Amino acid sequence: MSDFARQQADFQRGILTGDDTVLTEILDSPREKRETLYGVYRYAYGSRLVEALRNDHALLHSYLGDEAFDEMGHAYVKARPSEHPNLRWFSQGLPEFLRSAEPYCNHPVLADLAALEKALNDAFDAAEGPVLELTAMASFAPEQWNDLKFQPHLSATRLDLSTNASAVWLALKNDETPPDAAKLEEPARILVWRQDTTPMFRELAPEEAMMWDEAASGIPFGVLCEMLATYDDPDGAAARGAGYLHGWITSGNLTAVST
Amino acid sequence: MNVASRLPNSPAALGRPLQSDKPPFLGFGLGLRAQHYDEILSGNPPIDWFEVISENYMLPGGQPLRVLDRICERYPVVMHGVSLSIASTAPPNFEYLQGLKDLAVRVEPKWISDHLCWTGVHGKNLHDLLPIPYTNEALDHVVSRVQLVQDFLGRAIVLENVSTYVQFNNSEMTEWEFLAELSRRSGCWLLFDINNVYVSAFNHGYDPMTFLNGIPADRVVQFHMAGHSHMGTHIIDTHDHPVCEDVWDLYVAAIKRFGRVSTMIERDANIPPLDELLVEVNRTREIAEKVLAQLDKNLGKQAR
Repeated sequence: MSDFARQQADFQRGILTGDDTVLTEILDSPREKRETLYGVYRYAYGSRLVEALRNDHALLHSYLGDEAFDEMGHAYVKARPSEHPNLRWFSQGLPEFLRSAEPYCNHPVLADLAALEKALNDAFDAAEGPVLELTAMASFAPEQWNDLKFQPHLSATRLDLSTNASAVWLALKNDETPPDAAKLEEPARILVWRQDTTPMFRELAPEEAMMWDEAASGIPFGVLCEMLATYDDPDGAAARGAGYLHGWITSGNLTAVST
Repeated sequence: MNVASRLPNSPAALGRPLQSDKPPFLGFGLGLRAQHYDEILSGNPPIDWFEVISENYMLPGGQPLRVLDRICERYPVVMHGVSLSIASTAPPNFEYLQGLKDLAVRVEPKWISDHLCWTGVHGKNLHDLLPIPYTNEALDHVVSRVQLVQDFLGRAIVLENVSTYVQFNNSEMTEWEFLAELSRRSGCWLLFDINNVYVSAFNHGYDPMTFLNGIPADRVVQFHMAGHSHMGTHIIDTHDHPVCEDVWDLYVAAIKRFGRVSTMIERDANIPPLDELLVEVNRTREIAEKVLAQLDKNLGKQAR
């Protein structure tokens, strides 16, 4: 290892771990000691990354308050140093961290709230793609419908929340007092997508969520309707399937349909 | 990673600096910030050009890139990165470089700049503009890295002096000697951040004019003007305040030395309304016109 590389490794280790080895190679300034001057980098590191978390998770920040959020943020910074050159992606691991690390894992609403914010952030700058219009459906003859396959918009994602995090999110977004955190008997099935430039989410009924997940994996419309028939009234399955599909298209959730 | 295979017959492979025309004078600009998107797009404010933070647009899609496209239709744009990590001893990050190159195809920037610094090694990124020792070893390393990046991007890059808080005891030259030699050997242009010169000069106890006079006048293609936070014994480059009077004075000196240089106001935090920043942009313009007119007048007198 070159002397330059060794020095950079020492400098970085001093910031990440508090090791003082590099101080032997740093000069005092005319007005200040080297510990204080090097400390500018140490302080800036943590505060900059926590600030990035605040930006990406404004409602989690609002939910926890400054002190608790920053404590959590510094714990995340320590546990998951950034490995990507773009600060945009630093917070990607936060939901998983909150789901697995003490004491946050004891409050699953935190991981769920972070997961919802992450999904909305990801939808915000997801790749562009065409939005399927209802008129495109008119080009298919009735006998073709059973074979139709649907492609979700690149911004669309699904997540299941085990808590009432979506209600907490909505209250915080509207500057209202959030409800007490609660574990749900059945997970909330959330669909997140971008409408024009605005990230959106809505909760799906279990049947619609099942159909979305299967459609997203390439299952054709005819088979989807057979699946719906096992969920509820078999006679109304095709109509329910068409109704869900109509909702997806008018909301801009799909990018293409093909046979 | 096979670097040579990515750069066949490149000037760097042949040990030559990449030759590139000096970027044009753009006038007096501003750093583009999301807080001002609506006002800029609805009002066409009198700003000559915008500098955009490259990483803010190295994204898959969505509103930031759509806004950027509209800005590029109306204004000249310069790309300014914070993660090139040109002085890092870690291997080059070709994924990052490809992202930068792809964005440049979209933006068609007048130039691409970043900082003379490093941001991390061993797979970590500290998201800070970290200082280097001014040694011959470091200079050789950065020159070769600049040449590699320039060959990859197919254009000369522009590098900015950063604010520093520490100096290393193994430095063998001054920062300005390092920058001058880096520019001469690699062919890169220089972005002279006047606030950063002021900050570093105070922190390390030298005269900012010595720095200014040590930079080759013909290599500087851009000025940054910004504010900082004074801590008494040292200054922190927070870019969250208006430009202070001392830095305005140094700007006058910089114009006298470097002449007509594309100049912009850079505010990164505590972002004020656009009108407030326009006052500072206008001041950069007024001062430059006044100083340059005086210089022309003096030259005219000498010619007589």
